Amino acid sequence: MATEFKLPELGENIESGDLVRLMIKPGASITEGEPVMELETDKAVVEVPSSVTGTVSEIRVKEGDKLRVGQVIFTVENGTGTGTTPASNTAAQPSVIPLVPISATPAPAAIPQPERRATPTASAATASEFKMPELGENIDSGDLVRLMISVGASVSEGQPVMELETDKAVVEVPSSVSGVVREIKVKEGQKVKVGEVIFTLEGGVVAAEPARKHLPVEHISGQQAARLAFQLAMRAEGKTEEQALPPDQPHTLAEGFSMPVQLGKVAGTDRDPVPAAPHVRRLAREIGVDIHSVQGSGPGGRIGEDDIKLSAKNALIAAAAAAQTPRAIFIEPALPDFAKWGKTERVSMRGVRRKTAEHLRQAWNTIPHVTQQDRADITELEHLRAKFAPRAEEAGGKMTVTAIALKVCASALKVFPQFNASIDMAKEEIIYKQYISIGVAVDTDRGLLVPVIRDVDKKNIVELAAEMTQLSKKARDRKLTVEEMEGGTFTITNLGGIGGTGFSPIVNHPEVAILGLSRSRMEPEWVGNKFEPRLILPLSLSYDHRLIDGADAARFLRWIAEAFEQPFLLSVQG
Amino acid sequence: MTNTSNLRVAVIGGGPGGYASAFLAADLGMKVTLIDPEANPGGVCLYRGCIPSKALLHVAKLLEEAEQAKNWGIDFGEPKVDLNKLRGWKESIVKKLTGGLGQLSKQRSVQFVQGKAAFVNSTTVKVTKTAGGEETLTFDRIIIATGSRPTVVPSLKLDSPRLMDSTSALDLPDIPKTLLVIGGGYIGLELGSVYAALGTKVTVVEMMSGLLPGADRDLVLPLHKRLEKFFSAILLNTTVKSLKDEKTGIRVTLEGPNVKEKEQVFDRVLMSVGRRPNSEIFGLDQTKVKVNAKGFIEINAQRQTADPTIYAIGDVAGEPMLAHKAMHEGRCAVEAIAGHKVAFEPNAIPAVVFTDPEIAWAGLTETQAKEQGREITVAKFPWAASGRAITIDRPEGLTKLLIDPKTERVLGVGIVGAGAGELIAEGVLAIEMCALAADVGMTIHPHPTLSETMMESAEVFYGQATDIYRPKK
Repeated sequence: MATEFKLPELGENIESGDLVRLMIKPGASITEGEPVMELETDKAVVEVPSSVTGTVSEIRVKEGDKLRVGQVIFTVENGTGTGTTPASNTAAQPSVIPLVPISATPAPAAIPQPERRATPTASAATASEFKMPELGENIDSGDLVRLMISVGASVSEGQPVMELETDKAVVEVPSSVSGVVREIKVKEGQKVKVGEVIFTLEGGVVAAEPARKHLPVEHISGQQAARLAFQLAMRAEGKTEEQALPPDQPHTLAEGFSMPVQLGKVAGTDRDPVPAAPHVRRLAREIGVDIHSVQGSGPGGRIGEDDIKLSAKNALIAAAAAAQTPRAIFIEPALPDFAKWGKTERVSMRGVRRKTAEHLRQAWNTIPHVTQQDRADITELEHLRAKFAPRAEEAGGKMTVTAIALKVCASALKVFPQFNASIDMAKEEIIYKQYISIGVAVDTDRGLLVPVIRDVDKKNIVELAAEMTQLSKKARDRKLTVEEMEGGTFTITNLGGIGGTGFSPIVNHPEVAILGLSRSRMEPEWVGNKFEPRLILPLSLSYDHRLIDGADAARFLRWIAEAFEQPFLLSVQG
Repeated sequence: MTNTSNLRVAVIGGGPGGYASAFLAADLGMKVTLIDPEANPGGVCLYRGCIPSKALLHVAKLLEEAEQAKNWGIDFGEPKVDLNKLRGWKESIVKKLTGGLGQLSKQRSVQFVQGKAAFVNSTTVKVTKTAGGEETLTFDRIIIATGSRPTVVPSLKLDSPRLMDSTSALDLPDIPKTLLVIGGGYIGLELGSVYAALGTKVTVVEMMSGLLPGADRDLVLPLHKRLEKFFSAILLNTTVKSLKDEKTGIRVTLEGPNVKEKEQVFDRVLMSVGRRPNSEIFGLDQTKVKVNAKGFIEINAQRQTADPTIYAIGDVAGEPMLAHKAMHEGRCAVEAIAGHKVAFEPNAIPAVVFTDPEIAWAGLTETQAKEQGREITVAKFPWAASGRAITIDRPEGLTKLLIDPKTERVLGVGIVGAGAGELIAEGVLAIEMCALAADVGMTIHPHPTLSETMMESAEVFYGQATDIYRPKK
């Protein structure tokens, strides 16, 4: 039986490519998964693997041709009879493998081998779904960072299927079902809600179901890999995307000597046409709803009357809630049109950045901040640190100033319990915490994360150093869980690794104080009757002035400074 | 809301934008004065534009079909053209329609003042009446709807009746043996088609690389192919260097890659290189109205100018210079004056070129999508697969939908073919109603009609069109 190999889907919106190189000849035998050609698409050069096995009988394209998705590339005589795809079944699409710097492409999921077999037992197949599970308290959605499955791949229970970025953490979501993926309902970059169907499954046998033509099957992993490869190639050449992509043809328009090209232009504003019927747009204007901010609930995001009314209702509820809050709600002043002065780019503020912005604005608006500055002479401590560093290393950690600061602060918080507290303004109460858990601000490529070390007072410095090292790594690898960032009673932020002589940290609400460490440096200190070079660590303590008086803060910080200077204090008082 | 019933509103200019504004304002209870130099409302559109040209294009179509009928076994013989009668018929149409508008003005108690208006200040206008005399009138709001006029290339100015603009060409002074059309835009091609059908040898000169700059090339191609046979020459990338009036005609110097004879003599020359806004209104500097570098009056979304009592609509207020845009804007301006919360922000303004075949499009074009770098899926249905198109022997048409691949929403529609101008209305509705391709595809269209090509294009998007095999990629 002759079987056709058709050009598979290459990725989102890629319909065709130029055939750069053919890797097969008539008479050659090929097996499924073996690369058969190189194709240059708009985005990258990709290697296309075969989805059929057999002996090549006829090649219907030649190098230099423009190939379209679905076009027959070659036919095979069915030699071995394994893993072949009937000519009619275009559904078994292998993923394409990007050729450009593939070694640097961190996409293990980019090469899923289709495991489906065309089995004509369609009616027996039962489809099931995998829905987004609960992720934790108060988390009802997340941004889909990476899909780890593709259509046709088999998944088993417990196997991670996607990475999701919630407000604070990137989590791997494991499958709760087993079977072969039939259809993926979500896309990378999309917001996914708890309970939303992620993919559907064929239980065991695969049905030779009719190709779902009007639901374009996304080959995200292949596309993602191609994009990554493209970006890497660009970076390697030191180009920006704009430089790498061919420039648009300049639009020539002869002034006054030709027809108005504006004829038939999408009218009105520069904005995209609103997906709403004219009477709905009018309703929005009449009741004062900015239709561009309304999320349509209809097909294709179509906005209906009900969406406008709901939006207005929500605005009223929000306004009423704001009116009840004694503190005036903070309204962002309107922005000017920056485009007047030059080119701009708008990027959505997702995940960590958005959460950080909301949290810090709330903290800043709630807490009357004061920052107390002090300096600690850590010359002696530095000697001890160097001496005990190997021990921490043995335990898998690094004896850093932060690790020591954790211990110092834990002791200080025991002596000054009002720094280990929170304020309940509604009940007019102060909540003193009987535990000491300290958050440490970690700078990651996605922004500021604050993992929390529990029961710091019950751990020694070597243990703290090991735990700190472990948590920092997790933070940078995006593996921190939400639980690991909750429940802190105090925060330390160390910018000493970067530099600076002091700064005003913002209190991590609902905590009441935060300690900032800056770069320690050798300074001349007046010791006895002469200057001596001493290693000085600048300390900045921001605190909630509602609960903490200036004198207390000064005493607290002095205590910390002295503890750094004479670690013996820790065992005496801490 | 303000009490609008006592507002005194003046509308300067009686074209489609002007009379649409005046009539709606009257319907809303305002006291309306409509000022125009002609005897009745109508403007360029009715007197010297859309309407008379369509009457003549209807005749051109008839002549062409009679010629084409020879292929079907029908021969009417050579047509005889009675130019006086044709001109008279065309003028009777204009008279009927403009007279009708005069009637409608009276019925609505719109005070029609025949004359030319000049501004005294932001609320006062001095009208120099056609019948003689002046009148100074004061209003609460003024709508400027003065329209546009044909552009003249200064270096090609010539004081000769042989050099025509669209206005004089529509007067049909004679049937010249040869005609040069300068400008391959819609006015040049429409009027060129009229003269060609009447027997004139027409040459079109276009400075750009294609006819109808701005329209998608796949829509222009079938028209270009047909016009190549119909006209004696279409010279692209070609400019006219000079015009010289001679006894026998106008001597034209051409420059371009395909120009065989640099100098040619034509009986008549039609200059149709575009239109410019009539914003040089006397006394406009006595108001706060601002005019931009291109001569258009600056307006906001409500069509209000920088002078809060003055609004501007239609050609004088910006592109595209189309009667239907002006009418919609006029209604928007009047509603804004009445205190309604309105804005002019259509998702689609249809454009129609009334040649044969017609070209029409609405919303996003492929050219624009490419410029904006916007991802779209184009679903095309060639008319060769339409039963209706075959029965009228016009299989060269094409219907296409521009669809957002993510939402499947119809963002643009383009049609070329017989009657495309009528068909585009469905496309405009689809875009304005935010129809998905599925909505268009699942709407039953009458068979056998050309309107089915809309439905089938939508089906092509899903790879499931009945009359054409286009599997989904």
